[in-house]
Amino acid sequence: MMIDFNKVNLKYKNKTILKEFSLKIEKGDKILLYGKSGIGKSTILRLLLSFISPDSGNIIYKGKPLTPEIAWQARKEIAYVSQDTDLGEGTVQEIIDEIRSFKTNKNLSDPIQLLKEFSLDRNILKKNITELSGGERQRIAIIIALLLKRDIFLLDELTSSLDSALKKKVIEKFFGRNDATVIAISHDPGWKEKAKKVVRLR
Amino acid sequence: MSGAQDISWFSLGYCLLLVVIPLAVSWYLRLKLSKEIIVSVIRMITQLFLVGIFLVYIFDLDNLWLTFAWLMMMVLFATHSVISKSKLCWRCFLFPTMLSFAVATVTVLLYFNGLVIRLDNIFEAKYIIALAGMLLGNSLRGNIIGVNSFYDRIRRNENRYLYRLSAGATKFEACLPYIRQGLKDAILPMTATVATMGIVALPGMMTGQILGGSSPMVAIKYQIAIMIAILAAMTISITMSLALTIRNNFDPYGRLRKEVFRDSKDR
Repeated sequence: MMIDFNKVNLKYKNKTILKEFSLKIEKGDKILLYGKSGIGKSTILRLLLSFISPDSGNIIYKGKPLTPEIAWQARKEIAYVSQDTDLGEGTVQEIIDEIRSFKTNKNLSDPIQLLKEFSLDRNILKKNITELSGGERQRIAIIIALLLKRDIFLLDELTSSLDSALKKKVIEKFFGRNDATVIAISHDPGWKEKAKKVVRLR
Repeated sequence: MSGAQDISWFSLGYCLLLVVIPLAVSWYLRLKLSKEIIVSVIRMITQLFLVGIFLVYIFDLDNLWLTFAWLMMMVLFATHSVISKSKLCWRCFLFPTMLSFAVATVTVLLYFNGLVIRLDNIFEAKYIIALAGMLLGNSLRGNIIGVNSFYDRIRRNENRYLYRLSAGATKFEACLPYIRQGLKDAILPMTATVATMGIVALPGMMTGQILGGSSPMVAIKYQIAIMIAILAAMTISITMSLALTIRNNFDPYGRLRKEVFRDSKDR
């Protein structure tokens, strides 16, 4: 068992976000979380990254409860991209260098190959992140997630600003990999088709 | 030194008469500032009288412990001023900020008195207290700006901070751009002040020394030395405040604690 949500409850400002939520995720799973907006899909990913903690219930990561120590470890093994991802300031190159400056990411590889794959010109590295379009920024975030060489991917509305050809490519890139464990959130039917497991939240 | 020409009590009364000008403007244009003007002037007079009386004794006695007790009082007031001008919680910042001010002021002062002015007694009350006042007074603003900038930016750009955590950053790695920005925000205005020194206005200490009978050359040497000392003391105190507060103001998961801000309950 890779990840296990066990009867997780969470309230935020007196509003119930998750009630007795349980989900088991095996290594190599390709899961799509699906459901109305505001139902707590993003919250599930944020819980796994310990950006928030549940009011009650357990989250087990690789057989161990998500204590602070395990949480710091998990963040080194997970890549997370969300539509709200804020990459920071500066040029694309500076942002990549900044991520590379973390001790755990010392071996971050060169982005050139991936830039080509996602139809981005290499000159984009010199551009300031604020000059990029929503779609370009989304692709940069995706490229960084892939460069991190993690084997667990948490993807929140990853393709919302991409055209259908790129969308297909991105879905294939994540759901097509045998070794990767992927939890994706999307309203897009493309993801649903390729998912091994679809979890519907109500 | 002959010292500056004394101002007689009678003449000070003349000076007080000048307060009529802001009061008249306030009354004529209905600024409704009369109360503020009068209260601030009365506060100043009381405070300075008390300080004057104390300082006469402290300088005369020149007792090491008394000098340091007074110094610590100044540090306490500086700390109070920093925290009350911010939105930060008292409990989380009082002790670390005090410690940072104390360490920064004392180390820079002793270095200054010993190696720059080369006093026979580096603990001489007159120098310790007058210079500490300048160091604290001037690094105060920088501290308010730097520490506020750090915490405020993490709160405002929470997603950016969390993204760094999710990419495997340690707490220090995730905080680093905010530390850099906080220090920049604090030090840049100070460098602007340093760069315009003497052009925009004659600094207070120089004016004092010149009126006190020192040659302008002595006065500028002191001014150069004190400005550099302020820059150093400010950098030490902000860096230390951040280093000390970062330890406790994040939870074990690396999330900024909500209680850090006084207004967190209203949010």
